[in-house]
Amino acid sequence: MKKLQITSVLIAIFFAIGFSPKVSGQSLTGKQIVEKAYNRDTGNDQTSNLTMTLINKSGNQRVRKIKQFTKDLGEVEKNIMFFLSPADVKNTSFMSWSYDSDKSDDQWIYLPALKKTKRISSDSKSDYFMGSDFTYDDLGDRKLDDDTHKLLREETIDGKKCYVVESVSKDEDYMYTKTITWIIKDNFIGLKKEFYDEDEDLLKILSIKKYEEISGLLIITNSEMKNVQKNHKTSMVLSNVQVNIGIPASKFTERMMMRGL
Amino acid sequence: MEKLLKKLLNKPWIVIAVTIIISAMFFMQMKQNSRMETDLDKYMPQDHPAFVYSDQAEEWFGINDGIIVAIENKNGIFNTATLDTLKQLTKRLQKMDEIVKADVTSLYTADNIVGTKEGMDVKAFYKRVPKSEEKLNELKHNVENNEMTFGRLVSYDETVTVIIAEIRDDVFTQEFYEEILALADSYETDDIKIHVAGRPIVEGTMALLGPADMMKMVPIVLLVITLVLFLTLRSVKSTLLTMAVVFFSVVWAFGLMAVVNVPIYAVSTMIPVMLIAIGVADGIHLYSHLQLFLRKNPDASKKEATLDMLQNMWKPVVMTSITTAVGFISLLTSQVYPIKYFGIFTAFGVLMAMVFSLVLIPAGIMIFGLPKVKKSKKDESNIETNLAYGFAAKILKRKSVSIYLTAAIIILSIVGMQKIWINSSFLDKFEKDSEIVLTDKFINDHFGGTTTLNLILDSEGKKDVFKNPDVLTLVDQMQSQLENDLEVVGNSFTLTDYTKRMNKVMNADNEKFNAIPDNQYLVVQHLAERDSIAQLLSSLDLARQSSLAQDLTSKLAILDSEPLDSLAQKMIAQYLLLYEMSGDPENLNKVVDYDYAKLNVTFQLKSDNSKAINSAIEIIDSYEEDFGKQGITMNYAGSGYKGLVFTDLILEGQIMSLVLSLIIVIILLSLMFKNFKIGLIGAVPIAITALISFGTMGFLDIPLNTTSALLSSIAIGIGIDYAVHFIEQYRNNASKSDDMLLVAQKTMAHSGRAISYNAIVVIAGFMVLLFSVFPPNRELGALVSLNMFTSFVGTVTVMLVLLKVSNIYFKKEKK
Repeated sequence: MKKLQITSVLIAIFFAIGFSPKVSGQSLTGKQIVEKAYNRDTGNDQTSNLTMTLINKSGNQRVRKIKQFTKDLGEVEKNIMFFLSPADVKNTSFMSWSYDSDKSDDQWIYLPALKKTKRISSDSKSDYFMGSDFTYDDLGDRKLDDDTHKLLREETIDGKKCYVVESVSKDEDYMYTKTITWIIKDNFIGLKKEFYDEDEDLLKILSIKKYEEISGLLIITNSEMKNVQKNHKTSMVLSNVQVNIGIPASKFTERMMMRGL
Repeated sequence: MEKLLKKLLNKPWIVIAVTIIISAMFFMQMKQNSRMETDLDKYMPQDHPAFVYSDQAEEWFGINDGIIVAIENKNGIFNTATLDTLKQLTKRLQKMDEIVKADVTSLYTADNIVGTKEGMDVKAFYKRVPKSEEKLNELKHNVENNEMTFGRLVSYDETVTVIIAEIRDDVFTQEFYEEILALADSYETDDIKIHVAGRPIVEGTMALLGPADMMKMVPIVLLVITLVLFLTLRSVKSTLLTMAVVFFSVVWAFGLMAVVNVPIYAVSTMIPVMLIAIGVADGIHLYSHLQLFLRKNPDASKKEATLDMLQNMWKPVVMTSITTAVGFISLLTSQVYPIKYFGIFTAFGVLMAMVFSLVLIPAGIMIFGLPKVKKSKKDESNIETNLAYGFAAKILKRKSVSIYLTAAIIILSIVGMQKIWINSSFLDKFEKDSEIVLTDKFINDHFGGTTTLNLILDSEGKKDVFKNPDVLTLVDQMQSQLENDLEVVGNSFTLTDYTKRMNKVMNADNEKFNAIPDNQYLVVQHLAERDSIAQLLSSLDLARQSSLAQDLTSKLAILDSEPLDSLAQKMIAQYLLLYEMSGDPENLNKVVDYDYAKLNVTFQLKSDNSKAINSAIEIIDSYEEDFGKQGITMNYAGSGYKGLVFTDLILEGQIMSLVLSLIIVIILLSLMFKNFKIGLIGAVPIAITALISFGTMGFLDIPLNTTSALLSSIAIGIGIDYAVHFIEQYRNNASKSDDMLLVAQKTMAHSGRAISYNAIVVIAGFMVLLFSVFPPNRELGALVSLNMFTSFVGTVTVMLVLLKVSNIYFKKEKK
């Protein structure tokens, strides 16, 4: 199901702003902390330029530039993105509609060379997003009740006070046995996350390099995922971020995919 | 020299004590420091361009040798039990430390990308093991319709499926192999058979089996040699002392190796072989002389006898040892380190054997007394002498027979040598009916092949070359030609396969599109699309600025701005992007680099034999010009190719050092005997031995490999010994007599006798290797025996004839 929903993805990794951080005083459970992180206010719509850089173990880089739009329409969230570069994939576009219900995502792809829009279906949640080190799940497809959350401790990293929460997958076949997330106490941004594979070996580390306040919301604009087993990493940098600008719902159609930017 | 030896003769106990103490020290070093090197990569010269490139390519594309675990079910694999076994085994292999988790491929880990009417579907073939008939049939259908899987992970007859597990560098051990076998065993049932194969298994087993077999055989060889030595020398003391010389020289050679921290390589196991063959010679010649002296002077004291032995024999012993050692030192010209080490340490061992022969044997005689010469043997010794005299007379009488026969044999050998071929195969070193060969054959019968050859196409940094449809079409052509023309190439795999698959998938699984996108076709499509839009647009009421009209106009503008000649290239780029986003991107990294400037084409071969690999390389190389036009260079990589280059290197070095040592031997002999002609004559038995050895290999279809190539060193080492002893004796005798026939006969009775003993002893010993379980060791036994025999025959026949014809020593005397 959930492919290509880069926006919800970005929003979730970047665990945008959430509840006003007034809850202090009472001690929170692991589940409550994660819930607050998952449910931060991400705005109704967003557009930005994404630069995704893949770096392999020899230090070679593959750089992709993407223009993306996302809109939350209540029970459905719609995303559309257009490749700006490399030149030979320019105007290639992807669209996904993801639903709050259990319904699988709807996904489309438009290849300008093929001149046709095609539907894509996939059963694999552990698919890697655009050949990067992020899976769709890492990018925010994970639901709160898919894991059992436990507050391990509180810790200060990079001068910020964080909750350290362990989330153990309920599904034994899931690609991660567990994740450990450092969530900033003040604003519920996940600052760092470790992913453990089927054998409980450390597989990946997500680090948030930068987040900015844009239109009153906290948006993570620079993050890096490193696969420590393959010594391979992906950096995602957002620029020209605009939030709540009233993107029309008609933007998210097959016709728009084909028309390009 | 003689004085020193005489002095030592008076202190036999000290000599023996010193020898034993030093040997004990070396032995301790061996126990502590000796280690066996089984990693074949360590054998290869790391700075050779072919290896440097291959190692780089292995790094770029993650090329590793894979262990192949095949699951066989004669009733078909599409049933719950077999699929469950496949899943369990895949998971168990992924958890092993020696295996990179992500590098385990099976039907369980593979993605099934299929085209549908509306678009594309990416699914695992199965996660939960299918139980219902319906689910099983669906899986079967999916496998049969995916050319990336059918014939690659599941055999066409659907009775076998494989798991390919790539292992890390340097991790193969006996324990790991046994662990894998035990794991495979534990999943076998009445219906399900599990086979384990792949190059790491073959290499590992060979690296362990060869030396292990040698260690088992060497004691038996020693025992047989000791026995035969006893039968010829007829004295327990003499036999034991001669064997002590061999034993100590081996200990010192390996001891020194341990001291300077050089590991034991597979070829190092040849060192004892060489030292046995060469080391016994000194002892035999010394004792042979001693026996003859005692026959003439039965009442001589042990000191007199030993002194006479040393006086007469120290020179030939030193000369033979030095020439032999120099022959081995010429192996330093090899580019392969294990062979250099082999040369140095064998040379050291040979020189030590010389020292022990000249020091330890006399000391032994002084302490333990002379070997008994039984009077009753008098008749026998007469028979022996008569035999030698008669033989020498016959040889000299029928000179032409020796010459012509030798000429004929040389010609025949040269003819045979034409047929010689080099084989870097590992599998060919095993018994045809061994488990490892049968498993390999089984997998080759069902799949593309167990041996891989990697072709690396390199645009020298120019980006996106491997998205170019012309280039990919050429690669695809090459792949088809190899797969169709060569039976031995079962399969090939690279970016073209992904491109074709995506093209088919995106065109609703239409088989017509199982090809590299064709620009011409796309141009036609493009223009048709443009025309239909233009027509639609013109049919619209232009006054009404509808959004549809706007859309169409902008679309038309995009279409018109599109350069027509790059349509297919863009199509390929977009397919690959789509594949990356939907499949496992790691898959693409194994065939193409980030910049699309380097491509890795993997050919699967059904044999690792050099002939098979070369036949593939020959066809691939015929594309060099076509690729050259596109600015693309070709290189090879992978263990199969490295093995091939490595074997060539060894042989090249071997031939170089053979020629070099022949020249050095001629020079040394010329200097020792102060006559250039003697140098040439002395080299004749060596040359004949080497020729016959290679000629026989040609006729018997024994390919040259690392061990058999090294045997030419033995030919030199031993051939030179025989020649030197014989010539030295001949010269001695000639200085005392003018009767040419008598000189020849005396030499035959003295040196000829010792040489024949030497040959018999070593041949008997090496014949034992014929019973080895490891075929290369059997070949070794047969070839060493053959070399000993031809050296011996060559020395006492054609060399004797040449000595006489050249007339050297007699002319001098007359002057």
